[in-house]
This record gives sequence, C-alpha cells and structure tokens, in this order.
Amino acid sequence: MSVVDADIPPQPEPNPDTVGFWEATEEGQLALCRCDQCGTWLHPPLERCRRCGGPTSYQPVSGEGAVHSFIVMHRASVPGMGAVPYAIVLIDLDDAPGARVTGRIAEAAPAEVAVGARVRARVVGVPGGPFHQPEFVLA
Amino acid sequence: MTCALVGIGRTEYYRNSGRTTLAMATEACRGALADAGVDARDVDGMLTYQANDSATPLEVSWALGLDELAWANAMVGGGNLVADCIATAAAVIEAGMCRAVLVYRSLNGRSGLRFGTVDGPVRVGGEWQFSAPHGFLVPPQWIAMWAQRHMAVYGSTNEDLGHIAITQRAHAGPNPHAVARQPITMDDYLAGRWVNEPFRVFDCAFEVDGSVAVLVVGEELAADTAKAPIWIVGSANSQSGAGWVEWDDLTCMYSRTVAPRLWNRTGLGPSDMDVALMYDCFTYTVMATMEDFGFCAKGEVGDFFAEGKATYGGDVVVNPHGGLLSEGYLHGLNHHVEAVEQLRGTAGERQVLDARLALVTAGAGPYGGANVLSAERP
Repeated sequence: MSVVDADIPPQPEPNPDTVGFWEATEEGQLALCRCDQCGTWLHPPLERCRRCGGPTSYQPVSGEGAVHSFIVMHRASVPGMGAVPYAIVLIDLDDAPGARVTGRIAEAAPAEVAVGARVRARVVGVPGGPFHQPEFVLA
Repeated sequence: MTCALVGIGRTEYYRNSGRTTLAMATEACRGALADAGVDARDVDGMLTYQANDSATPLEVSWALGLDELAWANAMVGGGNLVADCIATAAAVIEAGMCRAVLVYRSLNGRSGLRFGTVDGPVRVGGEWQFSAPHGFLVPPQWIAMWAQRHMAVYGSTNEDLGHIAITQRAHAGPNPHAVARQPITMDDYLAGRWVNEPFRVFDCAFEVDGSVAVLVVGEELAADTAKAPIWIVGSANSQSGAGWVEWDDLTCMYSRTVAPRLWNRTGLGPSDMDVALMYDCFTYTVMATMEDFGFCAKGEVGDFFAEGKATYGGDVVVNPHGGLLSEGYLHGLNHHVEAVEQLRGTAGERQVLDARLALVTAGAGPYGGANVLSAERP
C-alpha cells in the first residue's frame, strides 16, 4: 500500500494480470478472469490457470448472484467511505461458480440484507480516481 | 520432536511504548535467557515473524552482544506463522544447524502500525485491489464476514461469541500481565460498540505494544536449564493461498486440515488436552477452530463456553491468560509463553490443576498451525 493525497477511497493498483478487470469496469461491464482451456474461473486473476496451466482471458458475467455473507459497517475503518451504516456483501456469482466478489449494497438499508438474498451488480465510479467497480442492488 | 521450550521472556504490554521494537525484543530475549539460565553466547539461531513492522534477528542478536548467528530468519506474515516458528526452530536444531534458537515477536501494535484500520488514503495492489475501493480491506471485516456465514449456516449467535469474550475476560482477571482485566457481563458485551457487525469491540483482540520471546533448545542444552523444559510433542501447519474471499467454506478454517494432521502425528486428541491456547484475533476464530480441533460439534461452541466447559473444572481451560482478546495482541506468541507457564505449574492464581498437555494454535482463516506441548518428554 502506498499513500495518495486526499480523503478518498483506496485506489486500486492494477498489474498485468488484473488490468483486464479494470478495463472491463471502465466499459461498464463486470468481467472475470477465466481459463480458456478448462473454463476455471480465477479471481483473483492469474496469467495462467492454476488448475491446468492454460492461458486465461476476461469473460463478461451477468453480475447476478446471491449473498454468501455480509457485514455492516457502523464506523469507518477505511477512508473515503461516506456515511454509515452500510453493508458490504460477499457474492456468489451465478455464472462464475467458484469465484466470489465483494461490493457494497446500494439502495437498501443494511437490515434488508440477508444471507441467500438475490442481487445484481451494476458498475459505478470509484470516487477520487479513474476507476470503476461493481456495487450490488437487491434483486 | 526432541526439542523443548526452556525460557520465556516478555516486556510490559503497553498502549504506547515509546520504545523501539529493537529495544523491546532485546529485553524479551534477555528475559527468556535469564529465565532459562542459558548464557546469550549459547544462542546461535534467531527467528521472528513480522509484517515489515519489527526489528530483525540480526539487529536483535547484535544488541544481545552476539557477533554472529549460525542461522537467522524473519518470516513475513502474521499469527499464522507462530506455531511454525516454534516448530521450525526445533527442526533447525534437529537438523544440526543450531543448538539454541530464540523466537521473538516485537511490535508497536497499538501506537504504530495497526491491523484493524487504514489511517490514510492508499493505493492497494495484489488480491485486495478488488475490494479495497469499497472499503473491504482490514482483518476485522474479513473474519466478521466468515462469522456471519457461520451464523446463517449453524445458527450461532452474537451471544455465542459473547460467551467466548466473557470467559476469556474472566480468565484475564488474575493475570498481572493482561491489559484488560475488568470482568464483563453479557449486557456489557452486547452494549459494546460495533466494530463491524457482527463484531463488537469485545470480539476483537486488544492491540498492544510489546515483545515476547521463547528460547527453543535441543535435548543436550535442555538437560541443564534453570526450569523444567516444556517439550514439543508435535506440530502441524496448513498454509493456503485461497484467500479470505475465495475460501470455499467460511465455517471452517485452516484447522480443518491441521487438526487431523496434528492428532494423527501425536496420537493425541482434544480430550487429552488440559489447556488450549486458541488463537483469538477475534472471538469467531476461537469458535471455528474449537470446532475444527474437535472440542465440540459445529454450532455448539457458544453452549460449550456458556456451560463452563472452557474454563476451570470444565473439559479444557481455553486461554487461561485471557488470550489476545484480554491479555493483549502480542500476535499470538504470548500463547506459547502462557503454555510454558501452565505446563511448568508456575501460572500462579490462573494455574490449571495438573496441566500436563497443551494445544497451542496460531492463525485464522486459510492459514495457520498448531503445536502440542508437554510437561513430560515425549
């Protein structure tokens, strides 16, 4: 982690393995790394598949899924997060089995969030920089 | 194994030490040597684990007056490496590379780098780059996410976690080293502020500044130390790269693999343990690992604590020093220090009657390890 100079959320530092994720979100699309050979979803992304060693590429996913678990933030432990409380969810994506992603819940109070709840992703900007990321709304 | 823990040392545990990690490590190491009655010049190996937040073995050995070491290493990581540090020290001795290895941890964990918060704006690479931008970045969040899943699958409750915190706080009461000794009730627990739901402040380790050290030696030196040696019966680790987000079953931890490995290696089981030093960065870590090590069935840890099975007169005394929750977050190495005190029979008011065998665990989530220690030579 290195320091940036404003009260903004942590900014991602893409690398050659992960840049495809951020390029997709810039286009408003959620895409995850997948093995071209055996189809394994790889998140965090890898240059080569951890199962078969095959080449990988970024494949779009629908962003629909279910809440695997969640937490509710009642105070800021990370800068730039705005008003509390808010829920952070861990999502099982329907079309990327074996890969999970995290995000904030939008347009719903934390009390409405439950394990197993259906969600869909939408891509929004990360304040303070050029990046975009998924957040989730209850479906 | 044929090695023993023969000396323990520690500094005071502070909220703001005003000291360097080098000064504190040196004091703890000198303490361990004096406790063992071993001369510093007999130490030829030194090992620590750290997160770029501490003095190195070379600095500490120099401060101890040693001109060189036959072996030195600083593992990069956290509590998951504690059991491995002790076992690696023993393995290095058994391999004939050293005679005596000091294992230490020194950190300004409260006044310096804290693991529970991010103080300033940052750029984050690696696996956390995906969740850092929405504020999912620090350990209390990761493990609370796991705890919530356990609640959904097994019906465990906030009160179940509370019983763990309450029991350990009661244990800390007579411990002069503990930083949090005031007893708490369930009402106190439930009135504690949220850190991040489902964790309240009492679910989280009490961060401190300080240092502890343990001297590990082979049987030759162990034959002539000031106090009875405490022997390493066996050790097991499981270090996975699955990560906190992708780990398949959040209701189990590394211990699902370590427990059978350790019990098979030692021929022992949970019912043989008099004391269990369970790594407790958070209450949920105790819950998941108690289940994995076989002390109770899934979903029954809350009752196990509520019914007194985890305290004096119960099945096994869990964290008689108060643990990281109440003694202080010396990053887990203080669990080995307490195991030595208990197995020597020198734990004073908190002594577990006839303690002969101790389980010492270290780590959480996808990575960790555990040792079994014994008052008798295995």
